[in-house]
Amino acid sequence: MINLKVVSPQKVIFEKEVEMAVLPGAEGDFAAMPNHSPFISSLRPGQMAIMSSNKVDESFFVSGGLVMLKEKVCEVLVDQIEPLSDVNSSNYQQSKTYQELEGNETALGTFEQVVNNPPYK
Amino acid sequence: MPNLKELKNRISSVKSTRKITSAMKMVAASKLRRAQELAESSRVYADSLSFILSSLAGNTKNSADLPEILTGRENSKISLLIINSSDRGLCGGFNSNLFRNAKKWISDQQGQGKSVKIMTVGKKASSFYKKTDLDIVASFEDLNSNDRQLQVSEEIKNKIMELFENNEIDEVSILFNKFVSAISQEPTYQSLIPLSNDETSEDESESNNAIFEFEPDKNELLEYLVPRNFLTQIYRSVLESSASEHAARMTSMDNATRNAGDMIDRLTLTYNRTRQAFITKELIEIISGAEAV
Repeated sequence: MINLKVVSPQKVIFEKEVEMAVLPGAEGDFAAMPNHSPFISSLRPGQMAIMSSNKVDESFFVSGGLVMLKEKVCEVLVDQIEPLSDVNSSNYQQSKTYQELEGNETALGTFEQVVNNPPYK
Repeated sequence: MPNLKELKNRISSVKSTRKITSAMKMVAASKLRRAQELAESSRVYADSLSFILSSLAGNTKNSADLPEILTGRENSKISLLIINSSDRGLCGGFNSNLFRNAKKWISDQQGQGKSVKIMTVGKKASSFYKKTDLDIVASFEDLNSNDRQLQVSEEIKNKIMELFENNEIDEVSILFNKFVSAISQEPTYQSLIPLSNDETSEDESESNNAIFEFEPDKNELLEYLVPRNFLTQIYRSVLESSASEHAARMTSMDNATRNAGDMIDRLTLTYNRTRQAFITKELIEIISGAEAV
């Protein structure tokens, strides 16, 4: 199990033990698992998925940020985050994340794509 | 002999002042709790970010490889000071302490042959520095209503990045009241450009334990990180300053309430004495009148 800690500039969003987390790294998706080599990467807009036994438990949209991995800790510093369980294709435009990203076309495009057809389901 | 009516009016006006100050104290106390929570919860992000930044900068042996915005320019001529004041008054020495401190800092800098530019945050600072002949590059007001702190921090960050790139400033420091405790706040400077050293060295021993891989490469990461770091440092100072403001207001309003109480006691005493003297005088008049008959 790896300790996944998701932090926004305002607060700690959540912190919990997970089997595996898939993150949208700047140069491709990667999976955070225990004993990954120490690693720092920036994030591109995309889906963050928490998985156990090859199934997605929880799924989020992140608009970008940073991730730091070492041993059994995975710290994700996000700019904007939205649980995908809260949004669907009809109401995602009302979400706070959507409004905050106003003007950032690439991120909004990815948001729409992730809501309608997430890469990990 | 003081007029009874006058005393009565005086007492009732001091009483209503006391009501106002004690209400302000309560409001400040509850706002303080919120502001403190916000300041504490934002610390996690800021700490992680500065850890990442220091492990990045620490891994780059040659400091010449680091961008100017991190290390500062060699011949710095113009310093920018960001002053975090409050929007409202009635908070004791909160703002005046800050301005006194800033004045010293500015004359220090000018003594070193640098010119100083000012960026003000909060109405108090902007109205104070308008009267001086210092160069004000930007003013930001009305921070604490509607949780605009993050948004304003973003604007401040964009402004200083722009000024630095146009070579209009070489150094940036930020001045704010650091929240020490509910009764003590301390004007504090933090250097943004160049990145303050103590923070980097503090974390260095820790970051050396693990050698990180970076993706994308360091320079690209730094490009993303440096503005992020500014934003969080500014945001943090804004939050600290707002917690300090509420704390300062709370203590000063507490004092004011106590003073008003003392004043009411004194006035009531005078009032009662005067009333008694009046009665005695009247009795004497009646008795001596009856004796004369």
